[in-house]
Amino acid sequence: MTYQHRVFGVALRMLGNRAEAEDVAQEAFVRAHRAIGEFRGDAKLSTWLYAITSRLCLNRLASGERRLASHGEDALLRLSDAGPRPDAALERRELETALGRAIAELPEDRRIVVVLRDLEGLSYEEIAQVLELELGTVRSRLHRARADLKEKLERFLP
Amino acid sequence: MTCDETRDTLSAYLDEALAPDERSLVDAHLAGCAECRRELEALRGMVALLQRVEPARAPVGFVDRVVAAARPRPWYRRAADAVLLPFSVKLPLEVTAMVMVGLLAVYLFERNPELQQAAREVAPRQEPAAPAKEKPPERLADKTPPPPVPYTPPSSEAPARAPGERDRADASRSQEVTAPPPGVDSPAPPAVPAPPAVSAPSVASAPPPIAPSPPEAKPQAKSEAGPSENVAGAARPEAEGRQRVLPPSTDSAGAAASSARLALRRGLPPADVVARVAVKDRDAAERELAALIARLGGSVTQRRREDETTVVEAVIPQPRYAEFAESVGRIGSWRLEAERPDLPAQIHVILRLQ
Repeated sequence: MTYQHRVFGVALRMLGNRAEAEDVAQEAFVRAHRAIGEFRGDAKLSTWLYAITSRLCLNRLASGERRLASHGEDALLRLSDAGPRPDAALERRELETALGRAIAELPEDRRIVVVLRDLEGLSYEEIAQVLELELGTVRSRLHRARADLKEKLERFLP
Repeated sequence: MTCDETRDTLSAYLDEALAPDERSLVDAHLAGCAECRRELEALRGMVALLQRVEPARAPVGFVDRVVAAARPRPWYRRAADAVLLPFSVKLPLEVTAMVMVGLLAVYLFERNPELQQAAREVAPRQEPAAPAKEKPPERLADKTPPPPVPYTPPSSEAPARAPGERDRADASRSQEVTAPPPGVDSPAPPAVPAPPAVSAPSVASAPPPIAPSPPEAKPQAKSEAGPSENVAGAARPEAEGRQRVLPPSTDSAGAAASSARLALRRGLPPADVVARVAVKDRDAAERELAALIARLGGSVTQRRREDETTVVEAVIPQPRYAEFAESVGRIGSWRLEAERPDLPAQIHVILRLQ
């Protein structure tokens, strides 16, 4: 169960709500457990789990039957101290909140790409595999997501 | 490369995900464009910020909850899954089962004379209008068939009698029909199956190639029957008795056709003529008979040798029937037991050589 945090993390960034994220992460593991026979050995287990989780999140977001996403929820996102400059605690919390909100405001198809790339560290190829997208689509969606975030967080950037 | 084109590639440039030639184009543009260099640095800062986000941690107890949810489901849930098969599997199974039950029912019915007997007894009483001829005279040649119960139209007398009594009375009437003439030296064996009710009306009305059972047969039948049957069967004239036993002959042609159809479907030919032939040598008679039938353009459909009787079933073309009757008279002394009044084009004959 070394993947629990990663699966939960994707669900949390995508859904913006801990309880809902735990629901989805749990369902992802249960589905993976039941469908383990479908797992192809040529793919990484993590990629397969990310694919299941991403699909569950996108389905849930598309269904509209979700509890109110709580953007202002506390402690959804924490930044490490290892920044280029030492942030004052207040400024850091402000940044965390702004970043969390900016991510939540991204369109879902861009949000999942930036989450998988910049928060989870997947390669372009892995993202293409997880989301069953063309490599070029991954590239352009990622770029637009980052550009969006950059615009919203301009004042925090050097 | 324009600035817009360059900026679209900056994300991949940062990730070193550009092809070498594309990368060198971007490098060349960046070298001469301060705006795009600034843009690149902002983007780099943004990515760095994202990468500072600490990984989320699943809540405490998450693993336990997942394990509990993934645990094999209890047996009753799995049993329910097994029962609730998808329709694509369940439907063909159900159809097959129904067809097999139906086939089994037909098979058992065919195998079981008692069931057929019961069906024959029940059916006409529920629908008095249905002509009895629709009941095919099946198992005519069985060694131990149930006595066929002829159709009895509602009469003032019929409801008064108990069913058992009626059966015995019917049986006595059947014997009445099959009773031998006094001249022939063969006792009427009660075990010999009675001719089908279908062919019985002809006994009274058949044109005489062969005379019907003489009236002298009656006393014998009476003597075999019990006293109560005497009251029931013998007290009335023979013709009337037959009339009661037999269906009304008004629609006999249609009924004969339907009988033939039914018989065809069931593979059991209805007999149009039933006769008994007293011969000296059964084997020789059988051969003669076969030759005769072949000569007349007919065909033997069945031949069965029993202890004292050889049963020959054959089909004779109607135009040759008179010749056939005449020729059989030369083979042995034959006595007509039943004959349909309206003989079809292909006459089905059952002869008992004795």
